[in-house]
Amino acid sequence: MSSNFRLSGYQRRIARTVVDAMVPRWTNFGRELTPDVLDGVENMIRNYPAFVRFGIRLMLLFVEFGGPLTLTGIVPLSFLSRRKVTIRLERLSNHRFATVRNVPKFLKILVCFNAYSRQDVEAYLGADRRIWRKQRVEFRDRLVQLDESRDRPPTPHALGTYGTVSTESYLDENRRGAATLNEQRADS
Amino acid sequence: MIIEPHNTQGDLNLSADVVVVGSGAGGSTVAATLAQAGLDVIVLEEGGYFKTEDYGADIPAMMGRMMRGGGSTVLMGRSPVPYLEGKCVGGSTVINGGMCWRTPDKVLHEWGTERGLTELSSRHLEPYFERVEETINARHQDPGSEGRCNDVFKSGADKLGWRLSLNKRNQIHCVGSNDCVTGCPSGAKQSTLYSWLPRFFQSGGRLYTRMKVKKIQTSRGHAVGVSGTLDDPYEPRRFSVSARAVVLSCGAVQTPLLLQRNKLCKPCGHVGKHFTIHPNVKMAALFDDPIDSMRGTHQAWQCTEFVDEGILLAPGAIPTAFMSAIFPTFGETLADQMINSRHIATGGVLVDDHAEGQIKTLPFGLPYVRYDVTDVDQEKFIKAASLLATLYFEAGAREVYTAFHHWPVLKTPDDIKKMKDAAPSVESTEYFTAHIMGTCRMSARATDGVVDTNGESWDVPGLYIADASVLPGTIGVNPQVTIMALSLMIAQRLSNALLKG
Repeated sequence: MSSNFRLSGYQRRIARTVVDAMVPRWTNFGRELTPDVLDGVENMIRNYPAFVRFGIRLMLLFVEFGGPLTLTGIVPLSFLSRRKVTIRLERLSNHRFATVRNVPKFLKILVCFNAYSRQDVEAYLGADRRIWRKQRVEFRDRLVQLDESRDRPPTPHALGTYGTVSTESYLDENRRGAATLNEQRADS
Repeated sequence: MIIEPHNTQGDLNLSADVVVVGSGAGGSTVAATLAQAGLDVIVLEEGGYFKTEDYGADIPAMMGRMMRGGGSTVLMGRSPVPYLEGKCVGGSTVINGGMCWRTPDKVLHEWGTERGLTELSSRHLEPYFERVEETINARHQDPGSEGRCNDVFKSGADKLGWRLSLNKRNQIHCVGSNDCVTGCPSGAKQSTLYSWLPRFFQSGGRLYTRMKVKKIQTSRGHAVGVSGTLDDPYEPRRFSVSARAVVLSCGAVQTPLLLQRNKLCKPCGHVGKHFTIHPNVKMAALFDDPIDSMRGTHQAWQCTEFVDEGILLAPGAIPTAFMSAIFPTFGETLADQMINSRHIATGGVLVDDHAEGQIKTLPFGLPYVRYDVTDVDQEKFIKAASLLATLYFEAGAREVYTAFHHWPVLKTPDDIKKMKDAAPSVESTEYFTAHIMGTCRMSARATDGVVDTNGESWDVPGLYIADASVLPGTIGVNPQVTIMALSLMIAQRLSNALLKG
């Protein structure tokens, strides 16, 4: 069950610093992800159990004051430039103690899940899942309708044997014409 | 009939022949079987009910809605091991990859000879496996639906002459949307929502959602019902269900926790112990040609060449967000790597583990789940990772990414030997698991386990367990068919007993 969890102003400032260093940036992407990803991270934490939420607050404080562990000075993380924040987080990520390494690793997962599942990021990387899912749902609906209308045994025989759709065109949307043709042949 | 909190008012006092706690692989199988036998069955599910149309593409949101702890669950130990557990109607069958493997004969033989569980022989279990596979539509993928991530894996294995097994998955026309982990958006995956539960409802079964069972009620040492609270946002509400038999199917983590919180089955001393997890590590490989992991099925093949050594290699196509978590980098460095994400194939190695974990309930009811990968199993992991890297290089990979902190990238096949020689430690390895089992194991003798071969507790008559926790040991393959087959066996025996007496 989702809680009313909110990061305090100070914790949010640390989280913003971490998110800002961890979100992807590409020169021709043209969008600043930090504010949205920060909101997404907070929403995600809201669904976590109370003891995990408490642990995350501790983790934020740990990276905030983790300078001495990484020999990067004693200035709190949220007061550093993005370049210096990155250096400190990288050093924490490569620390000799696994427990220390796991803190930025966990925070990174929160950031990455929120950043890399965004539609604009997926589309930029050539993997727009939302469009793909929609196409697939429609495609499957057609297969199921064909199965029902023909009263034929379902997969795998319905496809290869009866020409519902060719193996080559199964996942290739650019070859939908071929699939349609196969369907027409099969129907006729 | 699915009954949600808003369909009822006030506190609920219910009764039935059998109350089943949990609606995943075990609970749904038991519920459907008992209801079809004519018994009045109530299923209590802690999570909510989400239909196929509800499965969105927003990964963090879906994890928050359908997974325990919003997907934050972790086994503590030398290296923390994240695991995912479904918390919704259908349980983990809604979020799993849908692989369907019978328990290997070798494992069943071992259970018979070493543990005296002769009733779990291949011959005895055959009809249960058959019925399970038929009910959940365990079958091969449609030809052409596998995708490039699976194709390159097959190509590497073929070149090396390694044995491949074509997965059966519980699906009808899986069209390769590859979003198994947040609920199949096309309805192709035959989770219990599509297989056992419709049969349960057809036979008049009732399923209540958002019901958290806290207490197992007993009378003169017999289990006679359960009680707990409803997750109703408007008012605090309670429920109780009295029944002739109580079946716990909350999964391998929650079932022992519930028993421990109720201080039940303590005399046997095995609750929450002996669990194994099939730990696995994820790997990735960069290819010249596009892989497009998004297109295709999660896993079509498994390489079983090294299964006698307890090593399984498999492709595992995952969405971009999960892929980004494999790399040890972040920020601009990760962004540069992810630019090539269309060219990256992902896979994993699974090891038949011999370590045993433990589940404890801490003060305030907090769960503590500990599992330490042993050095012996780590040797297997290093070997397995080397084998998978070899396979990917053979398939034409330019680089291979590992889960070992000090060896994140292998640039040439020569690096494999260097990585092996360096022997990465447990602490520097990132593991993952989706197969936790054996926390309330089945045994032939009361001193060896928590339940007998009927699934009934040795200590509390009338209390049954039917989920991954009863597995007597590690099985080396994806466990959903094993869980369902054992649950089916338990349900049939329970229905016979209840109908007779």
